[in-house]
Amino acid sequence: MAVYKRGYQRYQGPLTGHWTRLLSLPRFSWERLFQQRLVVLLLTASLLWPLLCGLFIYLSNHLEIFASLTNSRDSNNGLAKFMEINGNFFLIFMNAQSVFSVLLAALAGPGLIAPDLANNALPLYLSRPLTRKDYVMARLLVLVGLLSTVTWIPGLTLFGIQSGMAGWDWMMDHLRLAMALFLGFVLWILVVSLVALASSAYVKWKIVAGALVLGFFFITAGVATMVNAVFRVNWGTLLNPAKAMYVVWGEMLGVDSTVVGLSSQGYDGPGSVACGIALLCLVGVLGLVLERKLRPVEVIK
Amino acid sequence: MPPVIELENLRVKLGRREILKGISCRLGVAGQGRAIGLLGPNGAGKSTLIQTLLGFHQPMSGTAKIMGFDCHKQVREVRSRIGYMPESDSFIANMTAVRFLRQMGELSGLPKETALEKAHETLFHVGLGEARYRDLGTYSLGMKQMAKLAQAIVHGPPLVILDEPTNGLDPAARQRMLRLVKEMKEDHGMNVVLCSHLLRDVEEVCDEVVILKDGQVVHEADLEAERKSNRFFVELEVSGDDSGLLEALHKVGADGVGEGQGRWRIVLPPGVEIAVVWKVTAGEGLRVRKLTHRRDTLEEIFLRAVGHLARTPGETAPQEVAANGGL
Repeated sequence: MAVYKRGYQRYQGPLTGHWTRLLSLPRFSWERLFQQRLVVLLLTASLLWPLLCGLFIYLSNHLEIFASLTNSRDSNNGLAKFMEINGNFFLIFMNAQSVFSVLLAALAGPGLIAPDLANNALPLYLSRPLTRKDYVMARLLVLVGLLSTVTWIPGLTLFGIQSGMAGWDWMMDHLRLAMALFLGFVLWILVVSLVALASSAYVKWKIVAGALVLGFFFITAGVATMVNAVFRVNWGTLLNPAKAMYVVWGEMLGVDSTVVGLSSQGYDGPGSVACGIALLCLVGVLGLVLERKLRPVEVIK
Repeated sequence: MPPVIELENLRVKLGRREILKGISCRLGVAGQGRAIGLLGPNGAGKSTLIQTLLGFHQPMSGTAKIMGFDCHKQVREVRSRIGYMPESDSFIANMTAVRFLRQMGELSGLPKETALEKAHETLFHVGLGEARYRDLGTYSLGMKQMAKLAQAIVHGPPLVILDEPTNGLDPAARQRMLRLVKEMKEDHGMNVVLCSHLLRDVEEVCDEVVILKDGQVVHEADLEAERKSNRFFVELEVSGDDSGLLEALHKVGADGVGEGQGRWRIVLPPGVEIAVVWKVTAGEGLRVRKLTHRRDTLEEIFLRAVGHLARTPGETAPQEVAANGGL
């Protein structure tokens, strides 16, 4: 029977479980996100670098292609060393992808909470079997899912490709890299997503919230440099989440900081543990911001 | 059957201010479609009570239960049984009405396909069938109100809380909204809590009424019984010596209160006709200057409860109701 002829009847069938209900929120958000051309374009662009890295891995495992180009044994050795797939390679990969992840978060994040606050939609969500934590988790999942596609998923895919080409022994010897790729990116996604959600919760205008996400990373970098310069200290680096993350990644991947250009004279800032703690503190602060801002009703004290 | 809403010495503090000061009452009966009117002057605590029922505020002491589930400790169980239509403009941006309702249905626990089906069905039910593919942002105020009602009932909850549902509606839309609310309780067996400043709306739709003032229940009544008990409410104005009128009224089983200058309010018990008043006044040698015989309106009940009118004889004092914690 046609819907308009049927009339309203109360639903009295079985209800879905908690996780099904919770995951419906990210599903609707993703559907809406992928209707935005800019998001799709950026997502596509952010997969170009992993593709190039995949090509690099192929070439590094087929150095015989270059054999005709170089004659000397030394240059062959130099090329082999340059094209070695190790922690340095993955650190550069992570660094590049982290930039894309920030851009994606700045584009997608503000549309998650700001419109709900602007249109007073929180009472609608929270009058359903959904707590504030569930709401934040659902919104976080939107970004975690989106950013995963440009971070650890291509990262582990590259690791898998390299393992496939280099063999079982290489994989077993470099399992640390896979762990670092996954955990390092998960921590980064958490930081970036929470920054995006907190910006979205604080500013009701999407564009301003997006600018705030980008601004956060620039401003913190500037503040960190200023603190280091003015007070002649090195702990200011802790205020720069991007650099702190880089230090943590370097440590996780077992990379020498002088090699990857943290400093030409070597890196003398806070260690990876301090940087990790600073990042976790930042996560905590951002969580508090969300806890404070996301309320179904505003109580004026 | 358990009550739909059960409040036990409920106290809620927002900031440093105590908003609800020990409310106790039992409203509605689960399984029976009844409408409960929530009335009170501005700042009485109506919205805070609704928000506490929804689990938005933590009670300082006491309990609030909906269908036996604690509103604070079993918030998911409570919310899965509620449909809420907020007072203020609330919707999700850049979304068609169908999509909005489908999402709300899925969040309430409807399976995907059912949610879509119910979204269409509910939108037709509230009169938005033709506009269901339009973006919610383009809706008029009246359409938004209907969309808010639709999202509250899309999952068929046993309890629907409506906060000022007729706000901003033209007379025709207001009538449609009230008709829908009546249908919800009569045809679909839903319990409805209607919070409104428009007493006529409450009077038209509700079976019970709770009046709040300063965070306390000052009156709680079965509206239908109240209407019946006040069917013989008479306002009388006489000239002459009316000192013996009260005694004469008592003799015929009626009661009254003199308001001075020959003005009287009289309540006739069921079965006693209005003609008795004429006979009594004639017997006392009084000349009737004015006699109005009308039903006691909810407005009068409301004003009396909040202390703006003298109480009709035989009526329970609001303070007593509050002290007894309801009926």
